[in-house]
Amino acid sequence: MRDTHVFLGLLLIFAAVNIGLVASGLLAADWTGLGIIVAAGLTLALYSFLYKDNPLFKFAEHIFVGVAAAYVFGQNWYPTIYGEVIAEWTDPGAGESPDWWLLVPTVLGLLMLTRFSLRFGWLSRYAFAFFVGLGAGLTIPRYISSFILAQVEPTLQPLTWTLAGLNLLIVLVGVIGVLVYFFFSVEHTGAAGHVSKIGIWFLMISFGASFGYTIMGRVSLLIGRVTFLLDDWLHLM
Amino acid sequence: MQIDRRILFALVFLGVAGPLLAGIYLPITPGEEVKAAYDQFEQLEAGQVVLVSFSYGASTAPEVQPMALAVLRHAFRRELKVVAICLWPEATGLAQEVFDKMSAEFDLQYGIDYAFLGYKPGTYSVILNMGHDLHSAFPQDNWGTAIGDLALTQQLRSLRDFDLVFDLAAGDSVEFWWIPYGQEKYGFAFAAGCTAVMAPDLYPFLDSGQLTGLLGGLAGAAEYETLIDLHGSASKGMSAQSMAHLIIVVFVLMGNIAYFAARRRPKQEG
Repeated sequence: MRDTHVFLGLLLIFAAVNIGLVASGLLAADWTGLGIIVAAGLTLALYSFLYKDNPLFKFAEHIFVGVAAAYVFGQNWYPTIYGEVIAEWTDPGAGESPDWWLLVPTVLGLLMLTRFSLRFGWLSRYAFAFFVGLGAGLTIPRYISSFILAQVEPTLQPLTWTLAGLNLLIVLVGVIGVLVYFFFSVEHTGAAGHVSKIGIWFLMISFGASFGYTIMGRVSLLIGRVTFLLDDWLHLM
Repeated sequence: MQIDRRILFALVFLGVAGPLLAGIYLPITPGEEVKAAYDQFEQLEAGQVVLVSFSYGASTAPEVQPMALAVLRHAFRRELKVVAICLWPEATGLAQEVFDKMSAEFDLQYGIDYAFLGYKPGTYSVILNMGHDLHSAFPQDNWGTAIGDLALTQQLRSLRDFDLVFDLAAGDSVEFWWIPYGQEKYGFAFAAGCTAVMAPDLYPFLDSGQLTGLLGGLAGAAEYETLIDLHGSASKGMSAQSMAHLIIVVFVLMGNIAYFAARRRPKQEG
């Protein structure tokens, strides 16, 4: 009951603040102004989860999911599915014949949808077989080239008595340590144990760096929303 | 030691809002990888063409949108031509917002100074297709005009025709789409701006030369703004970022001190 009063009170404050902003001319009484009010309301509703789960948060969450799904559908439908497939056959342009080669990927794509039918679901295997075969054929050589060969080259450069040489040595020790740590055919005792321990240290430092960057990213997103609330909505900055 | 997590949330909020309201600016020193990305644009001459790929959405816009604004402002200041594509469906509106701002600022002519080809589904297969034939991958621009009818894109046939490719990314488009299927295969100069979460995974590609410059998170955007003498939204956010980090570090230290103190207590009692 107490929470209901808190949320009703917050809604009233939100309405009063917006009336004040529009009356004072800080927010335009047009679609742009309405857009800013809606965005501010949804931002606050989503952040209200930090206090506890509540209907305002659920409402904003569902709106986001619905709008995002419709937006993505629209972006796929108009330029690609309609623009480059359906319109190609229904309205090919003066003096041009439809591109019938488009039938092949279109039929393969439609076969994927037969997964929803118990009777015709087996047809989707042809589309999946094509997709998996093509994907593997494209991916395996590209990944070997980009992620193994191209990465081995800078790791195995000659060591020098410079700062760059020291960096290279650290990378080399890290790569060997982590590779030994993930080599499970030998018991991690003795020399292998010492080297794998070095690998663990490198992994820990790498996880720490990733976690630090993740915190930085999340704080940046908060800064973006707080800037919007303080500047675009309340005009306090 | 128990602290209600809502106290921490409130402190982080105040740590972010305080410096923003006070308008505090902290000095920003650009890093080597950001300078390298900046140099890529500086090396190009007026009229050369840059492909900018927008691969992010609304949820990461606070980090990546300032990069897009800074990078494109730099490109248009140097009178470079820009062709933009979206590999994420949500990116089209964000890209359009950037071009609206740039058009107002630089008096740009659509189809001559820049072209916006819109969104195409297919992730890496779009990149492969662009490498073979740009006009097949993007037959029309975002508004349905054939790209063969635009002066800027008429002569561009493949990814090899671009003098620089710059990916603005929030997912795995840099390392799993552009590097293996684009940069490695077609050998163009490639730089990127990405969210902070992605940045640590991309440093090995800087060492190998597959990536020639990198802007990591809002900090990367602020460093780029510093290089182009601009006090944009990223630079404004850096003081708030530092304050929030300080609060988190203090709480991490407090947590560790409390943890070790709690571990010592039973021994002392025993």
